[in-house]
Amino acid sequence: METASERNEGKPVKILVFACRWCGGIGAERAGWKRADLPASFRVIPVECAALVEPDAVFRALAAGIDGVAVLGCHVGGCRYDEANHAALKRMELLKVLLDTAGIGGERLCLAFGTAHEDHQFAAVMGDFHRLLQGMPPLAPWTGGGDEDSPRSVGT
Amino acid sequence: MAKTVVLLCNCFGEIGGVLPLEEIAGKLRESGDGLSAHVLPSLCMDRDAERMGTLLRDEGADSVVAGGCPSPARRETLRRALEIAGIDPARCAHVDLREGCAWIHRNDAAGAARKAADLLAMGLASLGERGTSPDVWTEVRPECLVVGAGPAGLAAASALARRGVTTHLVERSAQAGGMMNLLSRVYPGNEDGKSRIAPGVRELEENPRIVFHPRSRVLSVKGFAGDFKVLVQTADGPLHLRAGAVIVATGAGVFLPAKMYRYGELKQVITLMELERRWTRGIGEAKRFVFIQCVGARCPERPYCSTICCPSSLKNAVRVMEEIPGGEATVLHRDIMTPGAVLEKYYRKAMETGVRFVRFREDAPPEVTGSETVEEVRVRDAAGGKVWALPADAVVLATPLVPGMDNRSLKDLLGIELDGHGFFAETYPLHPLETRMDGIFIAGSARWPVSSEQAAAQGEGAAVKALGILVQGRVSALSLGRVPGRKLGHGRVEEGSCTGCGNCVAVCPFLACSLQDTGNGRLVSRVNKMRCKACGNCVSVCPNGTMQIPEHNYRMVGAMIRKAFSE
Amino acid sequence: MKEIKDMSRDLLERREVDGVLGLRQGAYDIVEPHVFRDPGETSLLVTEPKWPMAKTAMKVLRDAPEGFRLAVVARGCDERALTELAKRNQVRDRNLRIIGVACTEARAKECLCDRPYPREIHGGRQEPGADPFEDPRVRALLEGDSRERMNRWASLLRRCIKCYGCRNACPICVCVPCKLEDEIWVEKGSVPAEMLVFHLIRAFHLSDTCVACGACQEACPVFIPLLSLQLAMRRTLKEEYGYEPGMERDRRSPVLKNAFEEPGTRKSVPAWVSPLEENHD
Repeated sequence: METASERNEGKPVKILVFACRWCGGIGAERAGWKRADLPASFRVIPVECAALVEPDAVFRALAAGIDGVAVLGCHVGGCRYDEANHAALKRMELLKVLLDTAGIGGERLCLAFGTAHEDHQFAAVMGDFHRLLQGMPPLAPWTGGGDEDSPRSVGT
Repeated sequence: MAKTVVLLCNCFGEIGGVLPLEEIAGKLRESGDGLSAHVLPSLCMDRDAERMGTLLRDEGADSVVAGGCPSPARRETLRRALEIAGIDPARCAHVDLREGCAWIHRNDAAGAARKAADLLAMGLASLGERGTSPDVWTEVRPECLVVGAGPAGLAAASALARRGVTTHLVERSAQAGGMMNLLSRVYPGNEDGKSRIAPGVRELEENPRIVFHPRSRVLSVKGFAGDFKVLVQTADGPLHLRAGAVIVATGAGVFLPAKMYRYGELKQVITLMELERRWTRGIGEAKRFVFIQCVGARCPERPYCSTICCPSSLKNAVRVMEEIPGGEATVLHRDIMTPGAVLEKYYRKAMETGVRFVRFREDAPPEVTGSETVEEVRVRDAAGGKVWALPADAVVLATPLVPGMDNRSLKDLLGIELDGHGFFAETYPLHPLETRMDGIFIAGSARWPVSSEQAAAQGEGAAVKALGILVQGRVSALSLGRVPGRKLGHGRVEEGSCTGCGNCVAVCPFLACSLQDTGNGRLVSRVNKMRCKACGNCVSVCPNGTMQIPEHNYRMVGAMIRKAFSE
Repeated sequence: MKEIKDMSRDLLERREVDGVLGLRQGAYDIVEPHVFRDPGETSLLVTEPKWPMAKTAMKVLRDAPEGFRLAVVARGCDERALTELAKRNQVRDRNLRIIGVACTEARAKECLCDRPYPREIHGGRQEPGADPFEDPRVRALLEGDSRERMNRWASLLRRCIKCYGCRNACPICVCVPCKLEDEIWVEKGSVPAEMLVFHLIRAFHLSDTCVACGACQEACPVFIPLLSLQLAMRRTLKEEYGYEPGMERDRRSPVLKNAFEEPGTRKSVPAWVSPLEENHD
């Protein structure tokens, strides 16, 4: 397991995490209790349920220069809102397909449905995702909407 | 004028030891948004409530960002502080700087500091865009409806009535007691089913708070937790009721093993239920009884154990040995399921009285032979493979409980679901006895095959859950979440932008959305605030952002994303 | 197409419908969509060029009086689009009839269409569709490593002048207001459109309702092959759920439904297990 400083020598990455209030968030909290050593590359937006993560927010995050988005929810069958996470999981998996089509890479969307009381899972997921994103090319051609040659700000 | 105060918790060094809190506070003050920021040693001690409250009031704060640990205690203390300062709790953003930052990035001080600053910026941004869902209240009807007067229903009605709740008990048949009326003896004692249930039935008759409706059926249920509007078809005509909660205790049916082990063909092949009847009416000349367990249970069509058939067979086997002179009982089984101390003792008693046990494998079931009557039962012993030929006068088949015939129609009436086996689904494992509909609870064999004691216990449990709603004079939609305390909010449809596509209706697990005709042919979605649990599926499938939850709307998320990484 | 003209005329003569929506070839050979009311008019009815008839039908029905019986000269893709619109309550299909026109195999190859015919064919012959994944243009676009793909799409989408033609032509894009016109998502006054936000948002919103009519890329003035963004998602839906948008009037997208009603091949729950039992593996 590499140390924090070793990690930081690699390319910096930016990760946005949507953690559901239950399994996702509690898993993250428990990683804290265990004093897990994690890269400081992620920021968490708590959501009630993974179902509340709008797909467009994922695009918005990638467009803002964030390298990867993680969505943490509960096991299929263990969602506090009954079957709410079924549709969420299906939706997110279809989103991965689109990201793959566009060459952005479905891997930039990390789905972990089930990181409940398993704090080591949260640590493993974040660590693995961080390493994965370090190895991926930057999204630069996609973010920012264009290059210097194309016309911009038409008629403001 | 908007004044936001940022409170940073040192957490007695747990946070301050990693994050440069004073520096962060200083940067916030200098950011030019009129923020004030304070580093406090703690936010959760009792005295902190008074101290923080005064501080906030003196600074004229109307919103707060609290950076510290995510512990509930802190929130309670904060809540009190906000009360003192007269600040709406919705105007307080909580930022996790401990479990989510200081404790996991101890080896990266610079990274942790950057992250903390970003998290606080996100918290501030969220305050700017956070909306509030309006609440609706409903007067809670103080009565309860219990469907089914078996042991579960009687226990529920009794528990409710003793606490002063008028309970309408609707029963399909002419008498209360359910399946207990058919039992000649209830294990592990000696009394028959009717006697066991007699105290419950007496209470039914004596307690004026229990209104018993025999020979009645529920025809329709509309409304929501706190105010269900029910139509019951009683023996005296239709009856309209309003109830704050509904308990479904409709029990189960018994599987009839058609064509199995020559049931229906040979007269002496009977079910356990039929044996109960015979004990009452006359056991006849039979002396040698062979019991076959798991008939139609623990198989692909019904892959569950029905809980009560083993104890029931043991009870009857012991009775054969004790009450029939020269009686012999053999139990052919795949496993004997007798959990708990009482049943385990009973199992031993059975062995002591001379009941024989032979275990067979699922793929080698026993064979019943005989032409006019039962002659023998042949079984291959699972241990060793020897084939026993057991002469028998009667073969008793232990069959499982199966979902009641009315389950399908009842589930549609109530809007609740059935599980994969056809029993009513509860929101296991987090909310026992509850269903997907608030205010509708299930107990007894309607939920899962159980013994009469377990059914009674569940009935009481469901009654206590129902009381949770009934004791409140009025209940608000925001209190009916899947969490203790306030629900996040409700879905909200932006007037004028709904296209009526129905995605939200299709996706909601609680059937909270519906399409309403606005009059000119245009359909618009409407959210039933009582049912909505703020899971957010509707928001994520809405094509043009019409549906939002104000407390977590897309402007807020967009603002947080923009502030997530400051460089 | 003679059969279509004849059928339209007959329907109007027999008063089985109040109007037939099709293309009329008028003065100077200008072709435009038209609601034929008079049977005699149908002599001017043509079935070329390809027109996004579903969206026009939706607008006609919206403005038509209650109970107006409309027949629409529709290709396979038009019928699929109308089905999707009907599911989403944008079209009242009770009084809607389809006069079906089948496309040729050659046309199917051009449109990358795997089902170039409606349910009932009244004009033309059913010919085999084309597998879009076999088309060399599509293969060039979608195969290869993801970095190359990303660069290819980036250079294509950079041509976008944000004319909204794709959105306007698409029969499924009917939201008013449209998210793509909301400043929070799409910045006003800058071109090209921010690729990730504009095009991917639109593509994902259509993920389970795109009927692969190709109107988007036919409308694009700078020839961005927009349909190819949808193909992989359509294939996923087909393989996992056996779902093709526009083919089943009474089936909503499986992505909206939970895993018991619409299990999918990868997330199926065995039929005999209680829904909430299998959450501990």
